[in-house]
Amino acid sequence: MPHQCVRCGKLYPAGCKELLEGCGCGGRFFFFVKEEAVDTAKEVTKNLSKKEKEQIEKDVLDIVGEEHSDKPIVLDFESIRVNSPGKYDLDLVAMFKGKPLVYKLDDGKYVVDIVSTFERRDS
Amino acid sequence: MLKKLKKFLMGITKIFGKKKEIKLGLYGPPNAGKTSLANRVCKDWLGEEIEMGSASAIPHETREIQIRDQIKIKKKGKELSFNLVDTPGIATKIDYEDFLKFKMNKKDAKERAKQATKGVIDAIKWLDDMDAVVVVLDSTVNPYSQVNITIIGNLAARDIPVLIVGNKIDLKKSDIKKIESAFPQYKVVGVSATKGKNVDKFYDALLKVVK
Repeated sequence: MPHQCVRCGKLYPAGCKELLEGCGCGGRFFFFVKEEAVDTAKEVTKNLSKKEKEQIEKDVLDIVGEEHSDKPIVLDFESIRVNSPGKYDLDLVAMFKGKPLVYKLDDGKYVVDIVSTFERRDS
Repeated sequence: MLKKLKKFLMGITKIFGKKKEIKLGLYGPPNAGKTSLANRVCKDWLGEEIEMGSASAIPHETREIQIRDQIKIKKKGKELSFNLVDTPGIATKIDYEDFLKFKMNKKDAKERAKQATKGVIDAIKWLDDMDAVVVVLDSTVNPYSQVNITIIGNLAARDIPVLIVGNKIDLKKSDIKKIESAFPQYKVVGVSATKGKNVDKFYDALLKVVK
């Protein structure tokens, strides 16, 4: 599955080193994109300015309740689509299914970050 | 494993008779009147003028979960105690430009959109905590929407008791029958939360649905 750098829009295949170390442009934030959605992903980020992309990075981190860290973060492109700052499309069906929103990469493995995303809360 | 342990502990709690607090959630699309209904419940049963949250004509006014503990409804010898959870409106699209119409500046509108998106995530996260849910719909709006169907479908899948409230019956365009035919398997009560119209019927239905 490809991943797209939010900042520069470059696409990377799963498991490549940039996802662990960050993109060549300095971005450490990636959209997780399904093969069939690659074209849409390209389209969405194509027209955004650098400032807008940085704003999206900040906003999304805020939304998912993540601290800014040096570790690359991958956003599931299917659940929330950020079209530009302040414009969001939400896939409720995926969200209600408890599909994780953010995957953190650690030591070359995917870690599903259930704590800050869609863990079924203990009541 | 954790779930099994939780179930086991809950079983013990039940055996020893400690009643857990019922969480009653108010869910629905933005601007349906969830907060207005919460405020009405607080006013009617807590006897106070303190409101649960501020209601507004601008969508996504509630962007954080609000909880009011220990509300007790007593009617016709029946009693129901619960914690009322008011949730942010659930939407499939949140666009800051929609807020600009309300004379909000661009920066504030974008911030509101971001908070509203976070609010949707929180509302969905909390759903599993609910013991019963009142789905609040605007009865002047077509009920056949993806948001309504997704919320109600997910509640059914989770076996959470549901009561549907069609709000804003004081408005001309209100159509409760349409909500009833959209969701025939549920009890639908028409109210006007701000005017207090028909809320008695809402409390009666609530006592029947939440056990």
